[in-house]
Amino acid sequence: MNKRSDQSIWLALTPLYSVILGLAASGLMMLLLKHNPIEAFAQLFGYAFRDIYNVADIFAKATPLILTGLAFGFAFRASLFNIGAQGQFYMGSIGAVVVALKLGFLPPVLLLPLCLIASVVMGAAWGAIVGMCKSRFNANEFLISMMSNYVAVAIMNFLVRVPLKEAKGEYPQTDVISEAAWIQSLIPGTRFHWGFILALAAALLAYVILWRTSLGFKIRAVGMNRSAARYAGIDEKKIFVIVFAISAGFAGLAGFMEVNGIQHMVVQGFNPTLGPEGIGIAILGNAHPLGIVLSGLLFGALKVGGNLLTQTTTIPSSIIGIMEGFVMLFVVLSYFVQNKVILAQRKRRLAKGEDVA
Amino acid sequence: MSNVKETAVELRGISKYFSGTVANDKIDLEVKRGEVLALLGENGAGKTTLMRILYGMYRADEGEILIDGKPVTINSPYDAMNLGIGMIHQHFTLVPVHTVVENVMLGLDGPYDPGAVAEEIRTLGRRYGLEVDPYATVRLLPVGMQQRVEILKALIRKACILIMDEPTAVLTPQETDRLFDFVREFRSGGNSVVFITHKLNEVMNIADRITVLRAGRTVGSIPKVEASESALARMMVGRDLELTTGQPAKNVGEVVLDVDNIGVISSRGHRVIDGLSFQIRQGEILGIAGVSGNGQEELAEVLCGLRNAEEGDIRVSGKSIVNCAPLAIIAEGVGYIPSDRQSEGLVLDMTVAENLMLKGSSDPEFTKGRFLDMAAIEENASRQVHEFDIKTPSVSTRTKALSGGNQQKVVVAREIAIASKLLVAVQPTRGLDLGATDYVHRVLLRERDKGKAVLLISTELSEIMNLSDRIGVIYRGSLLRVFTRENADIGEIGLLMTGIRGESNE
Repeated sequence: MNKRSDQSIWLALTPLYSVILGLAASGLMMLLLKHNPIEAFAQLFGYAFRDIYNVADIFAKATPLILTGLAFGFAFRASLFNIGAQGQFYMGSIGAVVVALKLGFLPPVLLLPLCLIASVVMGAAWGAIVGMCKSRFNANEFLISMMSNYVAVAIMNFLVRVPLKEAKGEYPQTDVISEAAWIQSLIPGTRFHWGFILALAAALLAYVILWRTSLGFKIRAVGMNRSAARYAGIDEKKIFVIVFAISAGFAGLAGFMEVNGIQHMVVQGFNPTLGPEGIGIAILGNAHPLGIVLSGLLFGALKVGGNLLTQTTTIPSSIIGIMEGFVMLFVVLSYFVQNKVILAQRKRRLAKGEDVA
Repeated sequence: MSNVKETAVELRGISKYFSGTVANDKIDLEVKRGEVLALLGENGAGKTTLMRILYGMYRADEGEILIDGKPVTINSPYDAMNLGIGMIHQHFTLVPVHTVVENVMLGLDGPYDPGAVAEEIRTLGRRYGLEVDPYATVRLLPVGMQQRVEILKALIRKACILIMDEPTAVLTPQETDRLFDFVREFRSGGNSVVFITHKLNEVMNIADRITVLRAGRTVGSIPKVEASESALARMMVGRDLELTTGQPAKNVGEVVLDVDNIGVISSRGHRVIDGLSFQIRQGEILGIAGVSGNGQEELAEVLCGLRNAEEGDIRVSGKSIVNCAPLAIIAEGVGYIPSDRQSEGLVLDMTVAENLMLKGSSDPEFTKGRFLDMAAIEENASRQVHEFDIKTPSVSTRTKALSGGNQQKVVVAREIAIASKLLVAVQPTRGLDLGATDYVHRVLLRERDKGKAVLLISTELSEIMNLSDRIGVIYRGSLLRVFTRENADIGEIGLLMTGIRGESNE
């Protein structure tokens, strides 16, 4: 019994091995580029944790990543693939920026909650369309949500070029929103803002919905056995729409974080990889809210350290993308290996005549 | 036939492990030329696994295979066929939209002339009594005919060792007789047959020798002449077992379920249920017998709200439930034990406690507002686990870790709690061992004696005959006749199952 729980601890650490292997593999890439990987990693993490500003920046970078991670992870619990987090994030950004621009005269205590609500509602509505296509026409949600990204990009491009274009009329971007709509820093002088606390609250909310509510029970039942859920009287078509709305709401909230917390405006095509990175983060975190928070922080650290590394050395900036890619690759591989290891262990015990319950 | 027969196949020390279980544990097996070997064992004893190893579908983890005394390696069914081994699977491996000839040719080496193959099919068919039209589309053939095509596929590949995996499961008694004629004819040509089954009467009918497997091990191998049904049953289960036979219902009360002339049209536009009517009263079991695919599945789905009826009405205690949502029907006190517990009855990745409340996620009993009442869920689970003697390490164990019998107990426990008026059970003992089967039967009878109405839909005629107070025979979506327990005649029921109406009157 003790032995077995030891083993499960080792298995639970597989994401960690994957991270290490992923970093090692990108180290090999650096060797090919004639850089010393050990030195580079020492620099990377050195930079990431050099001063309070950089550490704070890790949290700032992790905030939207946690939310797009939740967007994928939440839907994944219902066996649905939400590939549309990028578009949902953009729709959320539009919601937040429109409210901030048009109602900028309101005091922060009213303006901020309104921006937040607008971003979540816009994201959720955009995602609900995907859910409705799935339940009404039995459309493939993977493809529909992926395509919805392109539509969202086109809508945003139009808005920042025509109706919401800055007063100067120079670039495809909006005006800067009034300071009343800015999310306050937690630590003055850094970009670590209240949004991170909200992201943690969102992760907690996702956990509570999934494992403590009747709705979450239905979502998980649909996710794990659609046919049995149908026999149990669970209306899967309703669940599809609700799940997509909630999960897209998380991605929409990321729009509020980035617009009101960091950018203070919307620029055409900003943060173009938040959605895809959210998928990797959700997989690295095993689609569990706590895992998603932790892997979001890891990706945040890679971004902060990586940015500084490529600014101060001749290592090309694409190395950060390569690192992230390798980590995700090894995570996906690890699930395969993990299953093999568990099966092999069972076979060995069975061959010895032990009971496996 | 000479007295000392040569050995055709020998398996030595075959072991196979699947995740969580030993499917085969050092099994030895011998099949002689000109012999029908019955491989007998309960569901899950490892019969099919062992034969799939011989047929090259699985690879053994240990052990060796000898054909005609020579060790061989069989890596695929292709290798097996080249060694003269053919297998008739429980679920056919035919291409439904192709013709018989096309199916038979599929996978044959070299260019073949369809005309010549068709002629060969006719010749073999005449010789073995397996006539079938070579140009018929397989999809349109009855199940018994499709099985003939499977057999012809093996014969054309010159199989001399034929493995048949529960071939009678889909057949009527009459079709079974014809299959047995073929097996005898085939054997007389010096060929060997391995006949996988868990039905004792078939073993006594067809086998020359019987090898019994239990829990992945060989229990013994005896000639038929030395065997008796009771001795074989003991070998299979490892103890004496008397199958429960229900006493006739005593207190039959009000009509609970009233199915009134319903008609159902499938998504493909076929009429799958046609003018079906019956009633069940409190305290009685109505058994519905029939060959699978005659509308049983659709009837069950209409009853639990997963399918709409185009015509007719269904009333539970006078209240119409036809075309209502599943939840509304559950609320009327209708419990439902589906035929496939793993895909329809349980969420295997959820815990035992979660599965025991699967249908109650909106029920105030298990919820506090929008939140789950974890204490109530756990309390309910502990009570049910105790009451139904579900063997599980804890209520928070994932259901997939349980044995088949205990998984079914989880379904039965939950559905009986729901079924305050009516319990619908479809193939409730499919894939269960004898002990678990007997348990389920006892529970059904107990619920009946408590005054519930029970609808038992099963293709196992013995199950229907043992438990039912009245027996209806379903054929092409209609009930041909309803027998009372006293005048039920198995021969006549068998004929009705094939659609032949009996001469005698009630």
